[in-house]
Amino acid sequence: MSQLQARDLTRSYGRTPALRGVTLDVDEGEIVAVTGPSGCGKSTLLHCLAGILRPDAGEVIWRGERLDTQPEAARSRLRRTEFGVLFQFGQLVAELTAAENVALPLLLAGTGRRAARETALSWLERFGVAELADVRPGEMSGGQQQRCATARSLVTGPRVLFADEPTGALDTLTGEQVLTTLVRLAREQRTSVVLVTHEPRIAAYADREVTLRDGAVEHSGLELNVPSTGGAR
Amino acid sequence: MNSGRVSTPHVLLGLLATGDKHGYELKRAHDERLPQARPLAFGQVYATLSRMQRDGLVTVAGQERDGGPDRTTYALTGEGRAALDRWLNDVEPPYPYVTSTLLAKMAVALLVADVDRVRACLAAQRQAHTARLRELTVLKHAPSATLDDVVAADFAIAHLDADLKWLATTLSRVADWHREVRHEPAPGP
Amino acid sequence: MRPSALLRLALAGTRTDTVRVLLTAVSAALAALAAFAALTVLAIPTPPATADNMVRWSEQYSNALLREPGLRGGTAFALVLLMVPVLALAGQCARLGAPARDRRLAALRLAGATPGQVTRLAMLETGVACLFGTLCGLALYLVGRELLHRPDERGQLALPTDVLPHAGALAAVVVGLPLVAGLATALMLRRVITTPLGVTRRAARERGPGPWAGVLIVVGVAAFILGWPVLLRRTVDGPFVGLALFLIAAGGLAAILGTVTGTGWISHTTGRLLRRYARHPAPLLAAGRLMSDPWAGSRAFAALLAAVTFGAGAAGLRSHFVTEDRLARQQNRLAGVEAGANPFYLNTISLVDLAVTVAVLIAAAGLLVAVVEGVVARRRAYAALTATGVPRTTLAWSLVWQAVLPAVPAILLALTVGAVLARALFGDADRGPSTTSVCDAGAQLCADPATREQYTRITESPAVHAVPDVPLEQLALLGGGALAAVLATVLVGLLFLRPSTAVEELRAT
Repeated sequence: MSQLQARDLTRSYGRTPALRGVTLDVDEGEIVAVTGPSGCGKSTLLHCLAGILRPDAGEVIWRGERLDTQPEAARSRLRRTEFGVLFQFGQLVAELTAAENVALPLLLAGTGRRAARETALSWLERFGVAELADVRPGEMSGGQQQRCATARSLVTGPRVLFADEPTGALDTLTGEQVLTTLVRLAREQRTSVVLVTHEPRIAAYADREVTLRDGAVEHSGLELNVPSTGGAR
Repeated sequence: MNSGRVSTPHVLLGLLATGDKHGYELKRAHDERLPQARPLAFGQVYATLSRMQRDGLVTVAGQERDGGPDRTTYALTGEGRAALDRWLNDVEPPYPYVTSTLLAKMAVALLVADVDRVRACLAAQRQAHTARLRELTVLKHAPSATLDDVVAADFAIAHLDADLKWLATTLSRVADWHREVRHEPAPGP
Repeated sequence: MRPSALLRLALAGTRTDTVRVLLTAVSAALAALAAFAALTVLAIPTPPATADNMVRWSEQYSNALLREPGLRGGTAFALVLLMVPVLALAGQCARLGAPARDRRLAALRLAGATPGQVTRLAMLETGVACLFGTLCGLALYLVGRELLHRPDERGQLALPTDVLPHAGALAAVVVGLPLVAGLATALMLRRVITTPLGVTRRAARERGPGPWAGVLIVVGVAAFILGWPVLLRRTVDGPFVGLALFLIAAGGLAAILGTVTGTGWISHTTGRLLRRYARHPAPLLAAGRLMSDPWAGSRAFAALLAAVTFGAGAAGLRSHFVTEDRLARQQNRLAGVEAGANPFYLNTISLVDLAVTVAVLIAAAGLLVAVVEGVVARRRAYAALTATGVPRTTLAWSLVWQAVLPAVPAILLALTVGAVLARALFGDADRGPSTTSVCDAGAQLCADPATREQYTRITESPAVHAVPDVPLEQLALLGGGALAAVLATVLVGLLFLRPSTAVEELRAT
C-alpha cells in the first residue's frame, strides 16, 4: 500500500510557479525516480514530500495522516526518525567529523554519544569510508563526502529516503558506486526511495519513473517488468 | 547505436595471438570476450579464416580428428601479427558519418507525418530505450556479473543514456524542427 | 538530546566561531562592568541628616557626582546607558561568521533537528560565552575595587570602592545578561529556523524599506516636545508626570530608533541613485550591495548613530549651559561682580562628552567587526570577481563607496535629530529678574555689620532671555569624528580584502 501520497500539490516561489497540481504515490520499499528537465519542479516536489516545504495547496499524506499541516517540530522529528534526506552536496556539517556527522541524527534523537559513534562507524564501514571517521568534510573528496552523507541519510533506518541528485556532483564511476550501495542498503532495509535526477542512467536504478514538466506530471508509471536488483520488491 | 562496423578479421587475429585455435574455439572466445555483442556465426568464422589464410595472415597449424568433424587449427603468421599491430595502433575515426537508423527514421517521419506522430514515435522509442537501459543496469549489478559483462554493459549504458538525452532534447525540438522541414526548403542531402 | 551531545554540537565551530565567542564574552564583560558600576553608585548609603550635614552628602567621596544623593541616580543611569553601545557591539559580534553558523544550523535542521533544538544550541553558545564574560567581569570588578581603593590625603575616595552592591543584584547581572543574550540570539535566528533549506532558497526580497523611519523620528520628537513642558509646569507629583516621563522616554527612544532604522532607507535610496548615475564599476558594485541588503548598513551603523545622536544632544545641552553662563555673567556684571553660573554643570557635560567619545570608539569597533565580517562573509563572491579579472582596487573602492555614501546622510540625520531633541528638552536659556546687594566699600568696612549697611546698595537685574546658539562647531567636530571613524574602519577592513580575494577561496566550501 502507498505509505506516502501527494495529492494535487501546488507550490510557487513568489510569482514563479514550481508545482501545479502534482499527484504521486510511493509504496513501501519502492524506489521511485522523479525526472525532468531543470526547473520542472523536481526538487520542490521532493521538499514538499519530505515536509521541508509546505505546499501552497494540496496535501501530503504520510501513512494515512496529513503531513503538511503538522507543525514544524513534528515534521522535523519525522525527518529525523522516519525520513532520510540526501542532497547533491553541502549537507554535511563542515565543523564536525565524518563520524559525528553520521551520528548526528542519532544524537539529535537522544542516543548517547558512544552508542551513536558505534552505529555511525558501522555505517561508514558499509560505505567503505571507515578510515575517514575522524576527518572533517573539508579534507575529503567529493565522493567521500557524498558517501558520508549517504551513510547519514540511512543511519536511522528511515522508511523513506529522499535523494535529490545524489550523484549529481560525482563522476560516473563514483556516482555509480554510491548509488549502488544506497540502492542495495535501501532494499535490505525496505526503505522507499524518492530519487530526483535528470540522468536517465540514474533513473534506471528505480522501480518506477515519474517525469515532470513545467510543474506537472508529464509521464507517470513507466512501470517496467524488470527483475529487481537483488532483494525483494 | 555505435558507429562503424566491427572488423571481425582483426578480432580473430587478436584471439589467435593468445594461442592457436580452431574455428569453434575462436567463436567461443569471441562470444566470451564480447558479451552482449551479436554472436558470431560459424559460417562467418570459417569464411573469414579462409580469406585471411589466402592473404597470408594466418596459417594452418595442424589438423586433428577425434571422432567428430575435421578440426583445423590456425596460427598467426608474422604478417598477421603485423596487421594486428597496425590495427591496434590506428586511431578509430570518431563518428566519421552521423548515421543512425533512429536519426534517419525521425528525419523521414518529419517529412511524411505530423508533429504528434513524430512525438509519439520519439516517446515510444524513449520507452524502449529506457526498458533496455534498466535491463542492462540489472544485468550489470547481478551478483554473477564479471568485469567483462560490466564493461560491456557500461558501454551500452553510456550510449543509451546519450540516446535518451538526445530523445528528450529532440522531443522538445520537434515542433520547431517540423516547422523548419515543412516551411523552408530542406538543405541538400 | 543529551546534554553532552548538546554541548558538543553547540561548541562545534571554526576559528571564526571562536573569535565570535571571545568577542561576545568581552562585550558581556564590558556590559557587566558598566552594570556593576551603576549598581555600586546606587548602593552608596545616604547618611542621616545631622547638624553639620543637612544636605545628607556622603562626604567620603571627592566627586560631587557620588557625594550628592540627588545626582547619584543620574550617574547610575548614565553608566547604564553606556551599556547601550556595548550591547550594540555585542550584536555586531554576533553577526561575525553568522553565514557559516546559519549554514551549520540549517544542516542540523536538515538532519532532523527541531527548531527548538537548533535554537537551544545557538542560545547555549551565546549564553555560555556571555556567562564566561560576566564572570570575568565580576572578577575584574572585585579585583579592581581592591586595587582602586586609595583614599587621598583628605581621606576621600575617587570611586565608591567602599560599598558593595547587594549580592543578589550582582548575581542577577551575572546570570541575567547571558539570559538576555540567549533570548536575543533566539530572536535573531528566526529566519534560519523557519526553513531547513537555510539560505539556499530564500524567497525574493520584498521591496526596499519605506521611509516610515521618518515618521518614527517626527512622532518621537513631537512626543518629546509635548512631554517636556508638562513635566516642567507641574509639581513633581502632578498627575501627568508619569505620562510626561513616558512621552519623553518613548519619544527619545523612538527618535533614536528612527534615526537608526532610517539608515536602511538611506542606504537603499543612495544605492538607487548611485545605480542610476554611476558610470564606473566600483560605485555600481556598491550600489548593488546597498540595494540588495540595505539593512546591513543600518545594523553596522546603529551604535555609531545612537552615539552621534546622543553626542549631538549633549552638544545642545552644553550650548544651553554656555548660554546660561553668559546670561549669568551679564547679570553679575551689572551687579559689578565677575562670575558665571555654577561651573558644576559644564564640568558634568564634559564627563558626558567623554562618555560619548568612549561610545563612538566602541561603536567604531563594532563597525570594524561589521566591515570585516562583510568582507569575509562575501569572500567567495570577491574571489570569483577577482578570478574573472576585476582589479582589487575596484573592489576596495566599492567598499569605500558602500560604507561612506550612506554614512554621510545618516550622520547628518543623527546630528539633526540629536540637536533638535536637545533644543526641545532644554528650551531657551532664561534667567529671572534678580536683586543683589552689593557692598561698594573696602573689605574692612563691608565686613563690619555696623558699617556695611550704609555702603550697601541693591541692584536690580532685569530678566534675561537668550536663544542658545546651534553648536555648529561641536556638531561639525562630532560628525567629522564619526565620519573619520567610518573611514578608518573601512581602511582597516580593506586589509582583509587581499586574503579574501585569493582565488584559492573558490575551493573552500
